Amino acid sequence: MKLLVCLKQILDPDVPARDFQIDPAVKAARRGGANLVTNIFCENAVETALQFREAAGGDVKITALCYGESSAEDCLRKAMAMTVDEACLVERDGNTNPDAAAVGRVLAAAIRRLEQDGGPFDAVLVGRESGDWGVGQTGGLLAEELGRPALGFVESLQPGNGGVTLRRQTDVGIEVAEAEPPFLVTITNNEDNVPRIPKTRDVMMSYRKPLQKLSLADLELDSEEIRAGSSIFEVEEIFIPTDEVECELAEGDTLEERVDQLAKRIHEVVASIG
Amino acid sequence: MDPTQATREVFWNIEYTWLVYVLMVPTLAIFGWGFWLKIRRWRAGQPAVRFDRLGERLQLFLRNAVGQGRTIRSRYAGVFHTLVYTGFIVLFLATTVVAIHHDTPLHIMKGHFYLVFQSLIVDVFGLFVLVGVALAAIRRWISKPNLLVYTDEASWILVTIFVMALTGFMVEGWRIAVTDDPWAAWSPIGNVFALASDPLMSDAAMQTGHVVIWWFHLVVAFGFIAWVPFSKMSHVFTAPLNIFTANLDGYGGSLKTIDFETAERFGINHLGDFTWKDLLDFDACTECGRCTDVCPANTVGKSLSPRDIILDLQGLMHRQGDQFLLNGNGNGNGSGANASDELLPIIDQKTAVSPEALFACTTCAACMEACPVHIEQMPKIVDARRYLVMEEADFPEGMMDMMNSLESRQHPFAGTQFSRVDWTEGLDIDVMAEMDDPHEAEVLMWVGCGGALVERNRNTVRATAKLLRKAGVKFAILGREESCTGDPARRVGNEFLFEMLAKGNVETMQRYGVRKVVTSCPHCFNSFRNEYPHFGGSYEVYHHTQFLDQLLESGRLDGHGAADSSSGSSTITFHDPCYLGRHNGEYEAPRNLLAKVGGARQVEMERSRNTSFCCGGGGGMAFVDEPPDQRVNQERAQEAVDTGADVVAVGCPFCATMLDDGVNARRGDREVKVRDVAELLWDAVGDSDQTVP
Ligand code: SF4
Ligand code: SF4
Repeated sequence: MKLLVCLKQILDPDVPARDFQIDPAVKAARRGGANLVTNIFCENAVETALQFREAAGGDVKITALCYGESSAEDCLRKAMAMTVDEACLVERDGNTNPDAAAVGRVLAAAIRRLEQDGGPFDAVLVGRESGDWGVGQTGGLLAEELGRPALGFVESLQPGNGGVTLRRQTDVGIEVAEAEPPFLVTITNNEDNVPRIPKTRDVMMSYRKPLQKLSLADLELDSEEIRAGSSIFEVEEIFIPTDEVECELAEGDTLEERVDQLAKRIHEVVASIG
Repeated sequence: MDPTQATREVFWNIEYTWLVYVLMVPTLAIFGWGFWLKIRRWRAGQPAVRFDRLGERLQLFLRNAVGQGRTIRSRYAGVFHTLVYTGFIVLFLATTVVAIHHDTPLHIMKGHFYLVFQSLIVDVFGLFVLVGVALAAIRRWISKPNLLVYTDEASWILVTIFVMALTGFMVEGWRIAVTDDPWAAWSPIGNVFALASDPLMSDAAMQTGHVVIWWFHLVVAFGFIAWVPFSKMSHVFTAPLNIFTANLDGYGGSLKTIDFETAERFGINHLGDFTWKDLLDFDACTECGRCTDVCPANTVGKSLSPRDIILDLQGLMHRQGDQFLLNGNGNGNGSGANASDELLPIIDQKTAVSPEALFACTTCAACMEACPVHIEQMPKIVDARRYLVMEEADFPEGMMDMMNSLESRQHPFAGTQFSRVDWTEGLDIDVMAEMDDPHEAEVLMWVGCGGALVERNRNTVRATAKLLRKAGVKFAILGREESCTGDPARRVGNEFLFEMLAKGNVETMQRYGVRKVVTSCPHCFNSFRNEYPHFGGSYEVYHHTQFLDQLLESGRLDGHGAADSSSGSSTITFHDPCYLGRHNGEYEAPRNLLAKVGGARQVEMERSRNTSFCCGGGGGMAFVDEPPDQRVNQERAQEAVDTGADVVAVGCPFCATMLDDGVNARRGDREVKVRDVAELLWDAVGDSDQTVP
């Protein structure tokens, strides 16, 4: 069996508030002092794929694919350190923020290319959403491009009778489904697919695993077109919300007086909000 | 009676004396074979350089082996061990004198030497042995402290030594009584036996008794000698050897480095991967239990016991020693390791070397400092952790978050709300990357993650920076280019991550030509001082208390600032950080500074300086949630609170946060503050309008 996991490199969502900056010109976050990390749901997807391989008892090949800047090689190396077999990076030029549909097109083209060379992927795993924009559309749009059936919010894949057994989270509980490859799933997190810490030996081995690099030109895509995005939506404005806190101390000499004062003020404030 | 002619007849009443020599042959053969087995096992270990620097080794040997420097630190055990130890030496010398006198033409056992040494001194030291063994027996059989290991072997050793000394006095006494020895008074203890036996026994009975007990004494003594290499009595030889080959570089430099290019395994899970010195360590243990007694993790009730780790590994080595020799040629170059894969793992849930115990160690080195025979427990714990972390990726969750953060953010504090430069706000501090000529900076102020990214500690680094500025020191920081030194990764066992971080930092510092570093984090201090030289980073390194102390001494820092009265009236107790004190031997600098803090009184905790008790934060433990009833920091905080001090002074960002938590849990209604030495100093000598914060 062959699985493909899509990865995205994002700005560290744990960046200290003060280090988080916005570039109003491009209407996006600025790198600033922030680090780059693999989007957490993508790492959950890698972990889910690895667990599927372990449950299937071998003969499952896992490929990681990323559309990103050259720095995203780190994410792919880390995935290979987690024991993904091979990786492919589609290089993005410049600091642009292609939207989900554009990314879906690039990934689909890359997947088709990889399938041409190495045979079809039975399942494509995509993180449920990314920690930077949180749009959550890439999986669906990619499935559309590939013409595959898709299921969202999947938390585990297990080998089933002939197909694959999926567990997915829904508003009313867990749904278990049987799926016939090929298909695409978006992966969410649960307590069982916490990404593993690679063993040091695997970290070292990851540098010997194949990492293929493709450009948009290799995929016969027009980079200008991708850069411009699909215009399914347009970012109007982007800003950091400010919270204003007004603090007032209830006064009084005794505890009772202070409680009375507090109750009075609460009434007044509630009344003023109306 | 002419005392110059005083002597006694060797063997006197004993016939068939040739039998002594016949019995000696198998005795010495078994003794030699026993030690040969041991040496062969040790030599199957990996190489270690421990016969260099002979002068220093000899000094250490004289101080702590011959002089028993560490053994006598414990009062009760020190007393009885000294009695038995000196007794053994004197009795051994006396036996040698008899042998020389009898078996060579040198008849030395006569005259004043015979009376003073061979009779009086030998008798007194024989009594020492009896008293010493009795004291040991009282401890082992009556007071029964936890630190001992209660084995039959240990009891039999006491009984045997006691019997040997007692029967020695019996045969001496009967000889004196029957021969009417004119020099009896010179052998006071033997004489007591003589006087006591005289009215009770006939001469003939004493003569028969003498023969029987004499042979009995001989057989017991020879049996004991043959047993030595197979019992913990072997420490008589292994301990001095272990002390001679001890690590001379301080605990801060005691971890091994790994060559990742060539290493077949990372970390250790098989005996054959230990060095010969590690294997010798296992055999040198005297089972005294002092290491476990001082271990902070053990004290709060965790399963970690350094003594049991050493003893369990010793047991494992003895059980399968020959197996790991299979492919080895015993030349100490590690070829024994070829057979490692067939060996049992050393990490075993059912023994003291369980993952749970290994990950409770704070790497405080209290065990190593307490060990009378210089066994290196902590590096072995880290060796095993390395195996778990790097080969198995198996470790506690808190440590996982820490390592993840180190990997992606180069600092261990996932979720911190601060950047590395936030603390400099309003201080206008030079950042090397922004300076026209970074060489202008006399010293690099290494802030450390714990200083820059933890709210509580930002005052410490601010105070340090302000003091440096007040003293006119030209300093700069690396700012965002600073990465964790890698200490937490290294202690947890992720040597690979440590190496990556270390190499990165060395490169950055090289770029700016850094030669002198001052830091308020003892962990960073230790890494720079003892670990970075291995990666090509050699600097003149100071802990901030050392640097500030020098500035005050030299007068560069004016100590007559606006002494703040609020600290002037307080009582301060200083908590020695493990990585400043025990690991690097600095105990005075922080105390000197505190003495300058406007008239404050200093009190010491019971466990201080080299016996200081860890705050609980070392070894990556600061990132692990301890069970509420097993918190090392609270144990330590209680001790600090009990001194009655209202300020607990610290010199480490990890100690600060750990003790802050601990003190808040234990101080009751009393106002007790945890403050870094630099904060206190700034309050005392800083400009009054700019106190910290
Ligand atoms: S280093 Fe400290 S915590 Fe670790 S075993 Fe030794 S005494 Fe215990
Ligand atoms: S390791 Fe050292 S301190 Fe611990 S029990 Fe053995 S001899 Fe004593």
